Amino acid sequence: MTTPIAPASAAAGRLVDAAEHGQSDHLAGGRHDKKGRSRVDPVYYAFLLPTLILFTLAITVPAVLGIFYSFTNFIGFGDWQFTGLTNYIAVFQDPAVLSGYLFTFGFAIVTVVLVNVIAFMLAVALTSRIRLKVPLRAIFVIPMVISGIVIAYVFQFLFSNSLPALGNGLGIPLLQESILANPDLAWIAIVITATWQSVPGTLLIYIAGLLSIPGEVYEAADIDGATAREKLFRVTLPLVAGYVVINVILGFKNYLNVYDIIVGLTNGGPGTATRSIAMTIFTGFTGGDYAYQMANATIFFIIAVAISILQLRLTRNRAASA
Amino acid sequence: MPGKKRTRSSARAVLGVGVLGAALALTGCAGAAGAGSGPAEITFHMSKPEAIPYFRDLVERFNDEQTEVEVTLDTASNLSAGFLRGNPPDVGLLNYNMEMARFMERGALSDLGDMPEAERIRPDVQELVNQYATYPGRTSVLPYSVAAASVIYNIQMFEDNGLEVPTTYEELIEVCETLLDAGITPFYSTYRDAWTVAQGPFDYTVGGRIDVADFYEQMNELGTEVGPDSPVSFEKTFAEPVAQMKELLTYTNDDAESRGYGDGNVAFANGEAAMYMQGPWALGEIAKTNPELELGTFPLPVTDDPEDLKVRVNLDLALWIPEVGTNHEAARTFVSYLMQQDVMDDYNASYLAFGTTEEAAPVTDPRIIGMQEYYDEGKFYQGPSRAIPLTIPVDNYIQSMATGDDPEAELRRLDADWARLALRG
Repeated sequence: MTTPIAPASAAAGRLVDAAEHGQSDHLAGGRHDKKGRSRVDPVYYAFLLPTLILFTLAITVPAVLGIFYSFTNFIGFGDWQFTGLTNYIAVFQDPAVLSGYLFTFGFAIVTVVLVNVIAFMLAVALTSRIRLKVPLRAIFVIPMVISGIVIAYVFQFLFSNSLPALGNGLGIPLLQESILANPDLAWIAIVITATWQSVPGTLLIYIAGLLSIPGEVYEAADIDGATAREKLFRVTLPLVAGYVVINVILGFKNYLNVYDIIVGLTNGGPGTATRSIAMTIFTGFTGGDYAYQMANATIFFIIAVAISILQLRLTRNRAASA
Repeated sequence: MPGKKRTRSSARAVLGVGVLGAALALTGCAGAAGAGSGPAEITFHMSKPEAIPYFRDLVERFNDEQTEVEVTLDTASNLSAGFLRGNPPDVGLLNYNMEMARFMERGALSDLGDMPEAERIRPDVQELVNQYATYPGRTSVLPYSVAAASVIYNIQMFEDNGLEVPTTYEELIEVCETLLDAGITPFYSTYRDAWTVAQGPFDYTVGGRIDVADFYEQMNELGTEVGPDSPVSFEKTFAEPVAQMKELLTYTNDDAESRGYGDGNVAFANGEAAMYMQGPWALGEIAKTNPELELGTFPLPVTDDPEDLKVRVNLDLALWIPEVGTNHEAARTFVSYLMQQDVMDDYNASYLAFGTTEEAAPVTDPRIIGMQEYYDEGKFYQGPSRAIPLTIPVDNYIQSMATGDDPEAELRRLDADWARLALRG
């Protein structure tokens, strides 16, 4: 491992930036037309085409149609009329939507922090010189291959049966009642389950990141007399900053869309304490409120894009300076 | 490019020609392909899981008996998507609820009023369809079977404690007290699955006290005006029944909040409580755990007059034929076949349901026989929790009413949601 991957990835980032601004002709195979402009080999467009077509058909067209119908009273079939901004006005006046956003964002922030802290610590442990490294890695990755709804049902059983039984046996009053039945605490159960489910994916990315740090850096740090703590915060963390960005953005996006875990654990309850935005939007299809929930989805989409851009902006500089 | 046609047809919808119109053309082509010589091919949608084997046999028998029509049973396809694309099944036999009512309300279902079969339906049962929605001048839906629900009780436990079936609220409370004194949990509840609270305790107490159909008619007329000052509202009309529900639920198992529907069936089958507010669908599940258990049913008494007793019903299955489609004649032939009295009676007897026609055979299963007299006299109502569009999470609100301290706040929330929905509807 002589290639320093992190600087290389930063270099790759600059390369992409340069390509975006037309300063590079790497991809053009170095050919130029008469006026000196780089000529791109058509084969590159051919590579793009299948994805582009599928993406357009499966994502863009339905999305645009959905946004269009959010200005109507369409219920999924049959006649409809334009209703202008009525749906949007109704969304902003809907306390259920507002509490859905509060819950979803609170959940996403707590989970993304928890998952990344746990996964990073695990990754450091699993890349250091410990026994049984390989079998341990395999064990930690198992949750990744189990479907979310299955995980949710298993945890639902744990929370509503096993934990209360344990609480009664040991006389711990806190555990005696199922936390899923407590409107103030049910979200904790969802965070725990979501964390258990998504640590492995995050962990794998961190392991890859840690393995890409060349040993020489640590040798140099040792020679300079750095302590283990200093090595972690001054060497390891800056060098995997790019991976932190990836994990935070991907994770946050996933947690905002939380759906199956909640359906399996609480189905939005008790009451509406754990109803996520994705669940609310989905009722639009089953409940004949298509256009209204499309308006909700459009707002959600705009917020999600805004957050992604913000996160990229905020974290890009950090990653590049690493 | 395969995408081109799709985008164009979407664009047409956008232009206002209408999805139905565009799709009509599509099914027209599909229908023409199949309509050569040989039998007319139709699809029959029936997705009630436990009834699938029954109707698979029935369809096979029908196909063998004649050569005019060839029926394919469809148990899985998504109905909304089918209607959206304009190729719904040719015949549907489904649970009838607010969601199906939307298809009818927008004219997606054809008129069956001229079929002789429509004449045989009991008018008070046909009326159940109209309570959700109507389409002017059409009988779009034929009720096929009715599921009646009330309190399921453990006969042995009642006999052991010298208890009679209560017919007034006072008697019901006495029954509960006697059971408690004997160390028996009176009711088993499963709050974790919100729908069980809504369709059981909530529907029974509210439906037993108010005229459900009349209430929703007024609520629909009021629309955006529903609120603290309107003549009827959830807060005003439901407050007392809900308070009564809260009182009744003090006689339930302590761990109700963490129990789900499956837990409830097993617990009740194992004799952990004497009464269970569930529909006939739970009877089969209970029998899986304890087939020997002797069970009966009685309507939940919520007033002091035995004359007020009513059972909760829902249209377990209802028949319809979509407006689009080229095989209406073949579809009607099959509908007539399904509507034969012995076919209907056979289904109802097998699935603990009540008949919808004037001459339907009475039920014989001892577990539901207690509801027959009320059903015959038309003393029934459709669950008030089912008359609220799914987009309002009413089950969750009812769950909060059962478990929380402030049920009136939940009722106010329902009123606000109702008015908001009316505003954009």
